[in-house]
Amino acid sequence: MTKAPLLEMRGIEKRFGGVLALRGVDFDLSAGEVHALLGENGAGKSTLMNILAGVITPDHGEVRVDGAAVRFSSPRDAQANGIATIFQELDLVPGLDITANLFLGHERMRPFGQLDNLTMQREARERMAAAGVDIEVRRLVGDLSIGQRQLVAIAKALSYATKLLVMDEPTAALSATEAERLFGVVRAMRERGTAIVYISHRLEEVPRVADRVTVMRDGRIVGERPATAPQGELVRLLVGRPFDELFPPRARTLGPELLALDHARFVPASPRAGWQAPIDVSLRVHAGEIVGLAGVMGAGRTELLMSLYGAGLRGRWEGGLAVAGRPAKLASIAAARRAGLALVTDDRRGSGLVLRHSVARNIVMSVLRRLSPSGFLSPKAEEEATRRSIANFDIRPPRGDLPVGNLSGGNQQKVVFAKELLQEPKLLLLDEPTRGVDVGAKGEIYARLRALTQQGLGVLVASSELPELVGLCDRIIVMRQGCSVAEFPGGVDERILLESATGIAGEAA
Amino acid sequence: MNEPSSVAASGPPARQQTPAVRRDPLAIVVRFQSVIGLVLVIIGGIVFSPVRHGQLLFLSPDNIANIIRAISETGIIALGMTFVIITGGIDLSVGAMLGLNSVLTAMLMTNSSLGLLPTLVVVLVAGTAFGTLQGLIAIRFRLEPFIVTLAGLQMARGLALVLSGNVYINISYGEGPGLAPPIFALLGDRLFHNVVPVATLVFLALAIVATVVLNTTRFGRYVFAVGGNERAARLSGIPVGWVKVAVFAITGFAAASAGIVHAGQFSFGSANDGAGYELTAIASVVIGGTSLFGGAGSMIGTIAGSIMLGALANILQLNNVNASLQLLATGAIIVLAAALQTMVGRRDGAR
Repeated sequence: MTKAPLLEMRGIEKRFGGVLALRGVDFDLSAGEVHALLGENGAGKSTLMNILAGVITPDHGEVRVDGAAVRFSSPRDAQANGIATIFQELDLVPGLDITANLFLGHERMRPFGQLDNLTMQREARERMAAAGVDIEVRRLVGDLSIGQRQLVAIAKALSYATKLLVMDEPTAALSATEAERLFGVVRAMRERGTAIVYISHRLEEVPRVADRVTVMRDGRIVGERPATAPQGELVRLLVGRPFDELFPPRARTLGPELLALDHARFVPASPRAGWQAPIDVSLRVHAGEIVGLAGVMGAGRTELLMSLYGAGLRGRWEGGLAVAGRPAKLASIAAARRAGLALVTDDRRGSGLVLRHSVARNIVMSVLRRLSPSGFLSPKAEEEATRRSIANFDIRPPRGDLPVGNLSGGNQQKVVFAKELLQEPKLLLLDEPTRGVDVGAKGEIYARLRALTQQGLGVLVASSELPELVGLCDRIIVMRQGCSVAEFPGGVDERILLESATGIAGEAA
Repeated sequence: MNEPSSVAASGPPARQQTPAVRRDPLAIVVRFQSVIGLVLVIIGGIVFSPVRHGQLLFLSPDNIANIIRAISETGIIALGMTFVIITGGIDLSVGAMLGLNSVLTAMLMTNSSLGLLPTLVVVLVAGTAFGTLQGLIAIRFRLEPFIVTLAGLQMARGLALVLSGNVYINISYGEGPGLAPPIFALLGDRLFHNVVPVATLVFLALAIVATVVLNTTRFGRYVFAVGGNERAARLSGIPVGWVKVAVFAITGFAAASAGIVHAGQFSFGSANDGAGYELTAIASVVIGGTSLFGGAGSMIGTIAGSIMLGALANILQLNNVNASLQLLATGAIIVLAAALQTMVGRRDGAR
């Protein structure tokens, strides 16, 4: 079917200082079409979409909506034209409830200027339902998980997007089932004639939601394909090398047992709603292997990793917990680190890095005690450690003095890895290690992890990206409601993992 | 950066195009804003200085000694405050602590006839303990430092009033019971041809120590990390709680030092002295380029900021500008300094 283009962008150019971010980009979109936009970090996707959203204005080129040239000078302009964007940075107010967030700036009022809370709550429930989300609308956004917040942000944007919705990595923080629900919402919107630009790092999502896919690199469009194009072809367009090479070969030899949980449970001193404490977990991690943790959101994967690292709620471990063959308590971060554990969190900006500090400062942050035993800093030792880390992880640009916040997502994540690995841990805990990381950097991180396991490192990795678990791990543990329920070898069929994680194929519900 | 001639697939492309190589001129201004401000104020002082006997009053040795003597107490407090503010905290109790410690110093030396050295030790330990206690309360009960030190301000002032019975505790010098050792009066003197106040030398010595600690020790680095991202610091194994308590111990120590200097300069202890010093100190720190949000700042900036505020007040006094207008000028400068920082912060952090 041929539809008149709803949106046409022609010859868009944008320069930031000395960097040409967009070099004459053409992009179009028809009503009722889902157009996937792919590209590594820094390829120019976000710049292009920021132009569409009215956040920045282009230097050259024109934007037409319904055939009429437009020039948005603010997000409000774009919204007035029925264009809404869900940014990666969720623009929600944590201290307000879901209802207040959905109506922020568009509150329903009663006469005499009072807020009409009942009406807003009713409409909020409708909007949430329309987005396929089932969360009580009076809950504070700050109490929600990242994934739940993402769903609220989507519900919010859906209320403005009459014509066109830009979704920037909407599934980055979602579990497989939630992502599935989101795809349903996207399809329903397409049926209603809404045009959608869908930005994602997850290639496997493209054929499931999109009609067409455009790949950007270095500020240019390098290819446009039907969404059914083979993944391998898309990867080649993205990075210029085949998909299979993304995952390094698996482990051959296993070393001694590093971590053993036998029906271990973590008992918080004061339980917190929404914090799924590990209830009954049995698993083993040996030196030289990568063990995956699969599960839907709320299954307790993050809580397990945090509790192992002594960074969860206050409380204690019960049941069998042994590190390197010796019973362990792991009651504090200091104890976990003494036992040789290190953690890469799922939120590098929030809890992984000091964004405004330099790359070098971040890298040496956790090993200062070793680098400066006298208490006085040793610039030479720091420089040396930084230089080595930057080389090992191929951090780009290879400079220690830049604020880490200025790096791309993938390179920020490499800094996090470098920081944690400088401690020379025996066991590395990873929570969503490649969230918001482009394909190229992913491949480099996987390769580096494999190289380190060959030197005796053990890795326990939680991920919502099933292809990542299947491709990277030697074994995969499935978690459900705080319990380990199944174990599969690496390379297992994703559908089997998904069924096990959701409990469809497991016990009778 | 040159454009790649082709996008052909040859290895991973250079992704990040080194966006931060640009040196923002505004960022440089902010980085040295207190030094620039200080230079401007000094130039202003010279231009607007009244002339007496063919000499610029502003540059006369007496006047310079006045300026640096006047800032020594708030300057010492600002040194400690810099640590707290870089961790993202604040300490409102320091002015009241100065009053309390001046009373304590005077009473120990006169009423209790404690010697000079024991007095100094007791007062410094007491001040440090008071700060430590505030820090412990803040982290144990997860209270905002603002609230804890607001309470600390009231308690220190109250304690000082109770101890002193709300009267000046005068210090008389001499040998014998109830008299302070004459050497203590040195704090009110000037050395080197009667130019350099001893109080300023104390400030200078502490400033050097504070700069060294902040810039060259592991503890100093931890202070920045805790203020920059507390969660990241905690997960990186930095003893966050310990650092947060330590910075309050430092402000307590600084306030006690200032209290001793105060007692020495004026030869009395007074419960009500030091009121508002905490705000002058905070102003010096902020003008010095330290972020109230934590994670960034400099000790040199604080020192320059302190001197700048002192010099500014001095110029206005020399020109007989009344005290109210001095307050207005100080306020305007604080706003300017903070606005400059925010402008740069927005450019850096906008991602």
